[in-house]
Amino acid sequence: MDQTTAMYVAQGLHGLAYGMVLFLIAAGLNVIFGMMGVLNLAHASFFMLSAYLGFQFVSITGNFWLALLLAPPATAICGVLMERFLLTKVHAFGHMGELILTLGVAQIILAAVKGIWGTESLPLKMPPILEGRVTFAGLDYPIYRLFIIGLALAILAVMTLLLYKTRLGKIVRAAVSDAGMVNALGINIPLVFMMVFGIGIWMAGVAGVAIAPILTVFPGLADQVGMDAFIVVVTGGFGSLLGAFVVSIIFGLLSSYGVQFFSQFASVLIVGFMAIVLAIRPNGLFGARDA
Amino acid sequence: MRRALAALSWVAGAVALAVLPTTVGPYYTNVFVTFAIFSVFSVSLNLLLGYTGLFSFGHAMFFGAGGYGTALALKHVSGLALLPAVGAGVLASLVLALVLAPIVVRVSGTAFAMLHLAFSQVLYVLALKLRAITGGEDGIGNFPIPPLNIPGVASLPMKDSPQNFYYFAIVLLALSLWLMWFFTKTPFGQVQLAIRENAKRTDYLGFKVPQSKAVIYLVSAAFAGVSGSLYGLFHNLVSADGAFGALVSFAPIINIMIGGIGSFMGPILGTALFLVIEEVTSRFTERVELVIGLIFVFVIMFAPLGVLGTAKMLKQRWLAGRTARDAVQRAA
Repeated sequence: MDQTTAMYVAQGLHGLAYGMVLFLIAAGLNVIFGMMGVLNLAHASFFMLSAYLGFQFVSITGNFWLALLLAPPATAICGVLMERFLLTKVHAFGHMGELILTLGVAQIILAAVKGIWGTESLPLKMPPILEGRVTFAGLDYPIYRLFIIGLALAILAVMTLLLYKTRLGKIVRAAVSDAGMVNALGINIPLVFMMVFGIGIWMAGVAGVAIAPILTVFPGLADQVGMDAFIVVVTGGFGSLLGAFVVSIIFGLLSSYGVQFFSQFASVLIVGFMAIVLAIRPNGLFGARDA
Repeated sequence: MRRALAALSWVAGAVALAVLPTTVGPYYTNVFVTFAIFSVFSVSLNLLLGYTGLFSFGHAMFFGAGGYGTALALKHVSGLALLPAVGAGVLASLVLALVLAPIVVRVSGTAFAMLHLAFSQVLYVLALKLRAITGGEDGIGNFPIPPLNIPGVASLPMKDSPQNFYYFAIVLLALSLWLMWFFTKTPFGQVQLAIRENAKRTDYLGFKVPQSKAVIYLVSAAFAGVSGSLYGLFHNLVSADGAFGALVSFAPIINIMIGGIGSFMGPILGTALFLVIEEVTSRFTERVELVIGLIFVFVIMFAPLGVLGTAKMLKQRWLAGRTARDAVQRAA
């Protein structure tokens, strides 16, 4: 492989890695939205919170793997608490109530991380095994990004199995199409909601810890990545997992090649893509249901 | 009697506004100008949110377009008068709304909210990155502010004269508020309520829903542009954070939530309350996000109808209780 091709492939892999992280966040957002009709504006904040918790675990124990194992569930517990004690209470006020509540929680999390960890960006050291670079077919590539792609694919596989091969998955899919009916059939829907909410936040949490060594941890993390994740959900179509997946990959590639060719206008490129898609299909690429 | 009382209170209000800058001093005069600007901004969002049921997380883009439009016009066009400069800001907002309207009128609910969040983010990024035009992070500051020429009467200097600017801003903002109030009372303004309550049925009744939404959208954007333009003139500075930032989009939502959704006066009351809360909390803490977040959570949990809505509900409950008691007494 000559130099130019290698560069293109490397950029493509970069984009794929970022796209996979976006998908981990967007998938949770999307399933939560599909099931409960709640667009969780605090989702990206939980992603950031998990990155901070990961940083904390690493600085205490010095072990990245422990952080990757513990920080996402800890974040998920925070998320479930929010769902239980705040979100269910404002359901009567409709979409706007939920949007405003989750926006409020997002602001509180932002204030909390600024208060606890300060405003500078904190480095999170990646584990030594993943530090090096790997060379195949003339391409020199950092292992860590390949690890991110692998991790995301593994989670995607487990989630797909969970969703399509288990009883819980069947209930979730049924609840996406008609939660009231499933509830009437004697299944404890609030409990299922809580679990789905927890799993969604856990996935965002994994993404947070996984991307922290690349982006470092700073209070603008939620805005930076979260905005992309929201755009993915809007463009892919609310409630469509396939849409989220396809658009995440497109966005990852757009942003990495965009940075290469247009440098500072990469983010404009992404939103331009969104605008074009929405101008043609207002409900998103794969969105059918009215949001 | 009632009419006379109403007229009297209008006159009293006008007199109070007229003497305000000389009685409360420059600091509170400026606070009041801020209040007036954000009142208009909040009411313009309420046209979408409270009246039409369209929830936007990115109303800052019209506010910012107004500010940048005015600032750019004043910076590059020499000898531009004051009112045409404000007009340039409003025009910028209108053009932006015209571009977006075909896309956004076809969605509602969460998609509408998120689209606006995304588009306002684009403008924010553009304002930061198009350094040659917008000045990047520094924004556009210190642009010339022309005096207000009233032909044959006077030429009022605006720069370095807070008092003149106060009168200019208050007149323009009061006019905007009155126009918006008038707009909600027109038959067309009533179509908004119909769309909010049931878009499908409104469609069946023969009203063109997307087109009506587009018109309301333009009106709302224009008045947001007025407030943004005046905000830019007021500070003699427009910046990406102050014009397009996410917190600028959240401010009117908070104001509407606090004051009460759907009533015309609610957002104005909310703006006043939020300014007071900000004034008081800024003496104790720097954490704006925490205050905003807590207000969001508390209002939506405990008083989702805002101050005016809750007051109305309590009044109704009290009145209902009384009629019930009366009925019981009569029966006994």
